[in-house]
Amino acid sequence: MVQEQRDFRELLYQMTRRDLVLRYKQTVMGFGWAIFMPLVNTIIFSIVFVRVAKLDVGVPYPIYAYSGLLAWSFFAGSLRFALTSLSANVNLVAKVYFPREIFPFSAVIVSAVDFAVGAVILVGMMIYYRIPVHPAIAFLPVVIVVQILFTAGIALLLAMANLFYRDVKYLFEVVITVWMFATNVLYPITGVGGTLGTLLSLNPMSPIIDAYRAILLRGELPAPMPFLLTTAIAIPIFALSWVLFHRSEFQFAENV
Amino acid sequence: MSAAPVTFDHVWKKFRRGQRHDTLRDLIPAAVRRVARRSPAEHVDTATEFWALRDVSFEVGKGTAFGIIGPNGAGKSTTLKLLTRILRPNQGQCMVRGRIGALIEVAAGFHPDLTGRENIFLQGAVMGMRRAEISSRLSEIIEFAGVGEFIDTPVKRYSSGMNARLGFSIAAHLEPDVLIIDEVLSVGDAAFQRRCVERMSAFRDQGVTIVFVSHDLQAIGNLCHRALYLKRESRHIGPTQEVVGAYLRDSAPVPSAASGTTIELAAGVLRDSEGREISSVAPGAQVAVRVTCDVHQPCRDLTFGMIVYRSTDNLIVYEGNVTSDAMGFDGSRPGRQFIDYLFTANLIRGHYHVECYALHTPTHTYLSRLSPATMFSVNADETCRGIAELSLRARVAAPAVV
Repeated sequence: MVQEQRDFRELLYQMTRRDLVLRYKQTVMGFGWAIFMPLVNTIIFSIVFVRVAKLDVGVPYPIYAYSGLLAWSFFAGSLRFALTSLSANVNLVAKVYFPREIFPFSAVIVSAVDFAVGAVILVGMMIYYRIPVHPAIAFLPVVIVVQILFTAGIALLLAMANLFYRDVKYLFEVVITVWMFATNVLYPITGVGGTLGTLLSLNPMSPIIDAYRAILLRGELPAPMPFLLTTAIAIPIFALSWVLFHRSEFQFAENV
Repeated sequence: MSAAPVTFDHVWKKFRRGQRHDTLRDLIPAAVRRVARRSPAEHVDTATEFWALRDVSFEVGKGTAFGIIGPNGAGKSTTLKLLTRILRPNQGQCMVRGRIGALIEVAAGFHPDLTGRENIFLQGAVMGMRRAEISSRLSEIIEFAGVGEFIDTPVKRYSSGMNARLGFSIAAHLEPDVLIIDEVLSVGDAAFQRRCVERMSAFRDQGVTIVFVSHDLQAIGNLCHRALYLKRESRHIGPTQEVVGAYLRDSAPVPSAASGTTIELAAGVLRDSEGREISSVAPGAQVAVRVTCDVHQPCRDLTFGMIVYRSTDNLIVYEGNVTSDAMGFDGSRPGRQFIDYLFTANLIRGHYHVECYALHTPTHTYLSRLSPATMFSVNADETCRGIAELSLRARVAAPAVV
């Protein structure tokens, strides 16, 4: 068991390294992409919501948008990458035995590196807008862990689904776009009432993004109820996905 | 219960035949149809399932090599995938104790855009090696693979031989308890193949347990003490020599006589010096292959020849011929005659087969070829290797007179 855990960590490290090295080699900008996409979107939406349709979010809009986009990119990027992680490594899946969780997990870690790189710009923006660091920042790791658990849980499911049904990735693009607009990435969604409002309040991603903003921009702890609810969803999703993944793992080689 | 490093205990494995629904777009209409028709799902399944392995059992003891042979589709690769835990059996138990080194697709973990060095670490991790372990053997691995000057080049620029050599080299430095090998020796040049065989023999002698699948019967014979012959309906397990013999008998072609209308050789039988029919021969014995020779049209100026092959690799051990005049053959009238090809079996332990032919000497055209005319095995102790029985004797020489 201990032996297996150590091998697992080693392989996870090597796979993650492989993907990071590849990203750096294959694209001219390397990790620049991690900053580029959220930055371009921030500029576009800043123009839309500052110049076209004025929106009051309580903090300067660009930093509001960038913080939302950064956290969302971590989530969506992990899933997009994890989705094809098994089907793109068919060679390894069919021919060598090792825990297959390695693939979706390494996808999440690679996206976490992008997230860390993108966070540098956020720090720069906080300095520019003179937003002080508040002791609530101590709570930041908890938010990150909850997001990672939730992301990894869904990543496991998607990687598996796409191995068995190859058109899941097309469906995913539609769902992830709709999901982004149902999350408080670019605008607050608290004002929406009625059935739609109830539906939106069940979205586990909104409390996570709100928690980042509370801690970093408003200098307060996240609202307890929504965040606890998200945590209560994230942990079982992660646990159940992993169990399910582990149980169907031995069928992977037969189905590729 | 048993402590053998590799146990395969009454293993059954089935696969589904045919196209699986691998997109949601296909799955949904199929599922709707199934519900609409109310056809039971199990019915559909049993029709498309087949057993790749039925009740296969074997054990491999520590430090021994075990060969698996058989025709394509007999379940050899499935057996290896079960051993390496890529597949799970439907029934029965498959146990491998200790660290497994698998030489199945040696370059499976390679990424074309990474350099040789980066791929060594990646592939090493895939095989269960730690960074420190790989670092300490890095130079050995590179040297064994013989890719020294290209080690910082992306492997997509490697030749396929270099790729395979690097893959094998990583696996060869794994220090496994159990080594599982599938047909990897077919890559690389002769020098590299020889080093691979040496490496595997060294592994075996160090106490590593080896399971080796190959179509190279000669390699199986050289490396393995025991072997399994897998075929669809049955199987044969035992000492390699015996198992290889069974496989060769099964896969021998039906004797075919490529014969013209002039003369026809048929029905070869091997006899010993007293005229008894035999199928195994002692080294150095006088034997004869008797074939029937039907003359359809009068003919003369013939050459009768015989080729002896080593069956495990179709090596020509001997070819010789005699002219019809020298042997007193008279082909002037149609009719049946018998011809004895007499020879001394100066051969060592192994499996052999014989081809007989008749040739029209002036035009050098084959009038009839019978292959195989007969098959036989030479049974001898295992002290000699090679092909020819050279009857070695050794003694202390008398001191030279000065």
